[in-house]
Amino acid sequence: MASATIGTSSTARSTVNWPCVVAWMLVATTALLLSFGALVTTYDAAMAVPDWPGTFGHNMFLYPLVEWFWGPWDLFLEHGHRLLGATAGLLSLVLAAVTFRRGASPAVRWLVVAAVVLVVVQGALGGLRVILDDKTVAKVHACTGPLFFAVATAIAVLAGRQGRGESSGSTTERSEPVLHDPFVAVGSLSLPLPSWAVGASLPTALAVAAYLQLVAGAQLRHADATLAPSTFRWMVAIHLAGAAAVTVLSALTVIAWQPHESRAARRWSLTILAMVMGQLLLGGGAWLFTWGVPSWLQEAWAPAEAVLARSPRGAAVITGHVILGMMILGAAVVLALEWGGAERLERIARFGRQGRGRSDGTGKPLSGAVALQTRPERGAR
Amino acid sequence: MNLTTSADVRHARGQFPAWSVKIVLALLVVIGGTGCGATPPAWFRLNMVEATKQKLTPDQERQVATLMTAMFGTPDDPVALPETGLDEAKLRLAAGPVRSDIVGRKNGLYREHCAHCHGVTGDALGPTAAFLNPYPRDYRPGIYKFKSTERADKPTHADLTRILKNGIPGTSMPSFALLSETQIDALVEYVKYLSIRGETELGLMRAYFELDDDAEGKLPETREFLVGEVLEPVAEKWKAAADALIPVPEMPADIDMVASIAKGRELFYGDKANCVKCHGPTGMGDGQANDYDDWNKTIVEWTKEVVGTDDKQWANRAHRVLDGDSLEPRTIPPRNLRRGIYRGGRRPLDLYYRIHAGINGAPMPAAKGTVPPEDIWHIVNYVRSLPYELDGELGADRPMVARDRF
Repeated sequence: MASATIGTSSTARSTVNWPCVVAWMLVATTALLLSFGALVTTYDAAMAVPDWPGTFGHNMFLYPLVEWFWGPWDLFLEHGHRLLGATAGLLSLVLAAVTFRRGASPAVRWLVVAAVVLVVVQGALGGLRVILDDKTVAKVHACTGPLFFAVATAIAVLAGRQGRGESSGSTTERSEPVLHDPFVAVGSLSLPLPSWAVGASLPTALAVAAYLQLVAGAQLRHADATLAPSTFRWMVAIHLAGAAAVTVLSALTVIAWQPHESRAARRWSLTILAMVMGQLLLGGGAWLFTWGVPSWLQEAWAPAEAVLARSPRGAAVITGHVILGMMILGAAVVLALEWGGAERLERIARFGRQGRGRSDGTGKPLSGAVALQTRPERGAR
Repeated sequence: MNLTTSADVRHARGQFPAWSVKIVLALLVVIGGTGCGATPPAWFRLNMVEATKQKLTPDQERQVATLMTAMFGTPDDPVALPETGLDEAKLRLAAGPVRSDIVGRKNGLYREHCAHCHGVTGDALGPTAAFLNPYPRDYRPGIYKFKSTERADKPTHADLTRILKNGIPGTSMPSFALLSETQIDALVEYVKYLSIRGETELGLMRAYFELDDDAEGKLPETREFLVGEVLEPVAEKWKAAADALIPVPEMPADIDMVASIAKGRELFYGDKANCVKCHGPTGMGDGQANDYDDWNKTIVEWTKEVVGTDDKQWANRAHRVLDGDSLEPRTIPPRNLRRGIYRGGRRPLDLYYRIHAGINGAPMPAAKGTVPPEDIWHIVNYVRSLPYELDGELGADRPMVARDRF
């Protein structure tokens, strides 16, 4: 068993929570990566570069910048998407190195492993999508992206908590989710809420629903032209039902989290609800820019001009709908983990057993801050 | 160990909570349900409505499919016989999957911009078709509404180009003004290709009805028959479109507009033009509104035939085709002329074409022959004045105007 000591030199070197920093860098890169990916789909630019992993015969990283920036728009998007994907892959490896070296909690370690696996799979899927020119691969690629984003966000949140000493096993005031009172006060109202509606359950359900919405949206955006109208109608119905579910869940989350002691948590839940409202507007806008004014609305409002296909405004609305969906997913993950579900996730990561994390020899798991400052002595084994 | 809850028991056993397993399973079902097999290559769908109407046997359907592939190729590899008058290079730019070539030029334009509504075959059965009102155009009968040619003639290349550039206001058809001239040109050529292909398919299916007994239910697979008798008559109509332009007399430059509008109003309500019958006394489309366009009428009439038949086996097959290869028929409401939305174009000339030749495929009749050409300009002027007409000026008993309704 590796001995764990708390050395002063280690403490000095640990003033920066590198796992957290690298994880947030990965989150930002992934957000940009997925935004480029969404634009690639909006402009149907996935096959702008017909070869992979190279770009028009060049090494991907050595493709001339001038041709990338001043070439066709589709090429700019697709090549940019590839470069960002490669950056996300490299950052994932750096994150793995940093977290494993710094003795992260089991949950973080499992999530980092998942992130590395996902980023490798995602890169391969991106390559296969080009090589096979296959819509099904494109759909799976579009589903894996947000999953990776959620995992990266979860790592960043957990690593941040660990750095602040709010990791597994430690029950701080901050991590106490909400009042476990079946009657939750909302302003002057008292709403009866079942026990399952408190704590991290609702944000977790919201995150799952937001992800499923992204999956459903990906099926719509990558629908093959040979698909039957009846099938597509069902897919749209599922997406609309999902929108209703996300809206209800976000509203319930706000209600359930209003008595939370943390002002930030309360605000965060309200922010998610505002994002969902914005998402509904963007969804309506995406419908208008794709199919025009629905017939039931035309009696009241119909523009005298036809919609302009591929207009920058339309592309911004449609792509923004995807990006905001991804942001809602990320925000729900933050809410679920930062103020409630981290302990549960740690328990799951330990398969329900205690004490499998880094230990100080007492049999109890280390708190996050201590674990971060703890290193095995070289040659201690 | 003191196990107090089922969750504790699960944790002690080293299991994930049940809800997480359920979520993972649900995810797998959703992702798996979308179809994890490779996407099949695009194919031209057989016109099953016509095949079933003509009571073709499976062997005959196969023969039609084979002949069509021989004459027109596939969606990824189109063929343009010289007799069609189509430019195969343009077709190749529009056909196939969406991809850029070595110089960054985008191919597969039809699949990128059109197929999701109009369908790969141009049968108006793209995935999104059911959401659109009116439904997207089915190119296969070769009927087009908005054109500068006589009612029964094909549209010109310029007509289709104008539709692509301007879109069709009041419908889901967008404007593709941001595409290059080359791209729009290629798309127009491909739309003509799908139309010629669709009409040829219809011709082949209907030719079975005229076969001799000696033919044993098979069409002759000779060039004389396939190209000379079926394809060429269709292609010739498209080639002749450029010479079938509607002659338009110039509107006098010194026309008294007030008098012209008054004359137009008289014609609008009169027996000759009788626009009031459908567009209604208010001009808001509140006249006769229970008619169908040709595409929907085909389905409505065939449905009646299917319901009334004694041939149960054929009826069952027909019902399956109706469910899978057609959309729920919709009536076509007459246009509300007070909204200033003109689907076929807002230029006075466009309105002249609509009134002169009517709208092919729609109940809108041609005024040609009943209203003198110069009088058509008066109707045009009156129709253009309708969105701006003041309260109380329309109709003998002041029918309702737009302001009254909203």
